[in-house]
Amino acid sequence: MTFPDPVQIAVPIFIVAMIVEMFAIRAGARGDYDWRDTGTSLAMGLGNTFAAVVFGGAIVGLGTLFWQHRIFDIPATWWAVALCFVLDDFLYYWLHRAGHRIRWFWASHVIHHSSQHYNLSTALRQTWTGNLSLGFLFRLPLFLIGFPPKMILFCAGLNLVYQFFVHTEAVRRLPSGVEYWLNTPSHHRVHHGTNARYLDRNYGGVFILWDRWFGTFEAERDDEPVRYGIVHNLATFNPLWVAFHEWIAIGRDVVKAPGLRGKGMALVGPPGWHSGTTADVIRARWEADQPTPHIAAAPAE
Amino acid sequence: MVLVSLFGVLTVVLLAWALGFANTPLLADTAAAERIAADALHDFCPIEAALANDRRGALVAGRDGRVALVRPFGDRWVVRIVNGAATQVADGKLRLKPAEAMFPAAVLDLGAVAGNWAQKL
Repeated sequence: MTFPDPVQIAVPIFIVAMIVEMFAIRAGARGDYDWRDTGTSLAMGLGNTFAAVVFGGAIVGLGTLFWQHRIFDIPATWWAVALCFVLDDFLYYWLHRAGHRIRWFWASHVIHHSSQHYNLSTALRQTWTGNLSLGFLFRLPLFLIGFPPKMILFCAGLNLVYQFFVHTEAVRRLPSGVEYWLNTPSHHRVHHGTNARYLDRNYGGVFILWDRWFGTFEAERDDEPVRYGIVHNLATFNPLWVAFHEWIAIGRDVVKAPGLRGKGMALVGPPGWHSGTTADVIRARWEADQPTPHIAAAPAE
Repeated sequence: MVLVSLFGVLTVVLLAWALGFANTPLLADTAAAERIAADALHDFCPIEAALANDRRGALVAGRDGRVALVRPFGDRWVVRIVNGAATQVADGKLRLKPAEAMFPAAVLDLGAVAGNWAQKL
């Protein structure tokens, strides 16, 4: 069984899909683009590709080292691919959750959320520093379990390609069964929201079940449109600033923070800890203002 | 693949521009500025606002004494608390530069009230 690179195959499809989405919006579909925002998103995507070329070898090498000490000899069969895909998505859920709850990981992931737009080009607004922040550690258990490295990379690539297509406003809701099991455009719009209700919700990559099971699911509501972006939106399209602004802020806060605890929280505390604007604080304040208690894990429609 | 990607990036960006995805936003009124500030700053309660004459920016005062700048960014808005920002008033125009890195200076034509708003900062 051979494993192609799904992302490489999908790049031309990504380009065509963005063009189709733009024309669809002009024809009346929901959504919006801004050429400057899209330029920045695509520059970030290109930079991410170069970063993968620079650091990819070392990471695959580390994964292969783990695989040489594997627990099981897992053959390259269809069922192994299916199992690997599900487990990879499970680990992605935790990586993604850490990416929002731990500032060290957020410094890389914030890039993806730094657009106030939500369209297919936003999907390509990717980090340049994800490998430096060691996010790949979350996938190492797959190598240790014994899934062949090429199979893991294939599944991770498929996961990424799937997620590209959920970054759109043009699709309202998919059939209810799909909305229950899978991450969909609707669920992922919530994930990109800065509304207090939507902050830090719906981390799932392909399966939304992880969020339902681990208490982080929030359904999109038609009476509360999503405001996209981050709590402290950027005021520049400069790709270098987009890529490194949170790392610079971390450095500044570590220097300024008094005591070891303060410095530690600047590094690995939740984003917003220093300014008192963590997602938990914002949500608690919002919930206190609600006339009736908010039920986080609302059922899918 | 790099060349395909570069060609794709240029095509998509130029097409976005050609299709008119290049708006500059305008504020409808002071209520819109207050709503944008309240949405962006989760703990901000607006009480009054001053709109720039070209409707491309505003200052919004909060109940707690903080003042928020609402300024365009692409076709969206970006909001910052600007108390303590460097200010300059000339000919009814308030120029303010927040200390934040990479946050551009803003010039708001507020007319006769420019001085009053500068004092709030």
